[in-house]
Amino acid sequence: MDEFEDALSSVLPRLRRFAHGLTRDPADADDLTQRTAERALRARGQWQTGTNLDAWAYRIMRNLWIDTVRSRKRRDKVMAPAEEGRDVGVAAEAEGKAELHFLMRALERLPDEQREAVALVMIEGLSYAEAAEVLEIPAGTLTSRLVRGRQALARILSGE
Amino acid sequence: MAEPIDETKVIAWLDNELGPEEAARVEQAVATNPALAALAETHRAMRARFAAAFGPIASEPVVPRRTAEVVSLAAVRAARSGQPPSPARRWWVPGTIAASLVAGLVIGQLGRSDGISDRGDALALAPSLSRALDTQLSGQEGPVRVALSFRAADGTYCRSFAASHLSGVACRSDQGWRLRYAAPAAAPGGTYRMAGNDPAEASAIAAMIAGEPLDAAGERAARAHGWRR
Repeated sequence: MDEFEDALSSVLPRLRRFAHGLTRDPADADDLTQRTAERALRARGQWQTGTNLDAWAYRIMRNLWIDTVRSRKRRDKVMAPAEEGRDVGVAAEAEGKAELHFLMRALERLPDEQREAVALVMIEGLSYAEAAEVLEIPAGTLTSRLVRGRQALARILSGE
Repeated sequence: MAEPIDETKVIAWLDNELGPEEAARVEQAVATNPALAALAETHRAMRARFAAAFGPIASEPVVPRRTAEVVSLAAVRAARSGQPPSPARRWWVPGTIAASLVAGLVIGQLGRSDGISDRGDALALAPSLSRALDTQLSGQEGPVRVALSFRAADGTYCRSFAASHLSGVACRSDQGWRLRYAAPAAAPGGTYRMAGNDPAEASAIAAMIAGEPLDAAGERAARAHGWRR
């Protein structure tokens, strides 16, 4: 295993956690993690040695997820809305992951742009600068999405 | 006059985003102002709650397991020819190919071998699937998804794919695409299995592949030549 694969495999567990925050669905999260790993390996020539591999890989995952959401929206226009996620939720509860499931449902109620900011900073622990780099937005934009997202989450969790 | 301390500032303080002087100023304000203290506590507790629920995910290893019982094309061929099978390859050994399957290996249910393996008379594929294999690049979304393209030891081009009812590996013969490995796309329990998310398939590929999988440029070149060797 070379240096790149080494670095990529060490970030995979965190990528998979980020995928849970983004997709709010364990099956989607695992699929997204795999596709991100594949994409990163194919695109490894685009990664510059010495730059932040984590931010690069997070960005690949986030962009893949945007594509997935778009294509699902196109598909759902021509098909009946799928009952996706329902069974998975039940399975997650059965596995004693009720709390994780509950928090993913709370994240679901945020706008996409707030959810990804919250996932990167509050769950993944990235600095504001790193998160802004992943999302390719100015630091001020990141901060305002992050704060609005957290305010909304706090309201959701307090049952308002 | 320093800026007033608002929720944004309190959150930035909790996130360690402030310089030492400003952090001290916020800390002081939180210590003396009950409203700010309550705000800080709300956000601190929320972050801790997410950390507790999501943290374990990042502790789950995403590494290949090597214990899966697999259908190995090499073993099948060896059995046919009466030779002892070569030892199973370790997942990491073929380099990129193995790494590209890492996530799938961990995520997929291990230890099952419900695929149809290559027993000599390879199966022809439905026209729609053949068309997808002819035209689609890896990673494109669609009814058929191609995960990976590679050259087999005999020089033929092969591609792993997932379609609605079937996932597997097909290789391009002079007569068209021929199925070399297949498994039902729906895994037991009804969960949909994505391309590459099958340890038996990974093993089949590992036994067939010569060198590394094709990169995007290699795929385009192969496609331009109709995937002929």
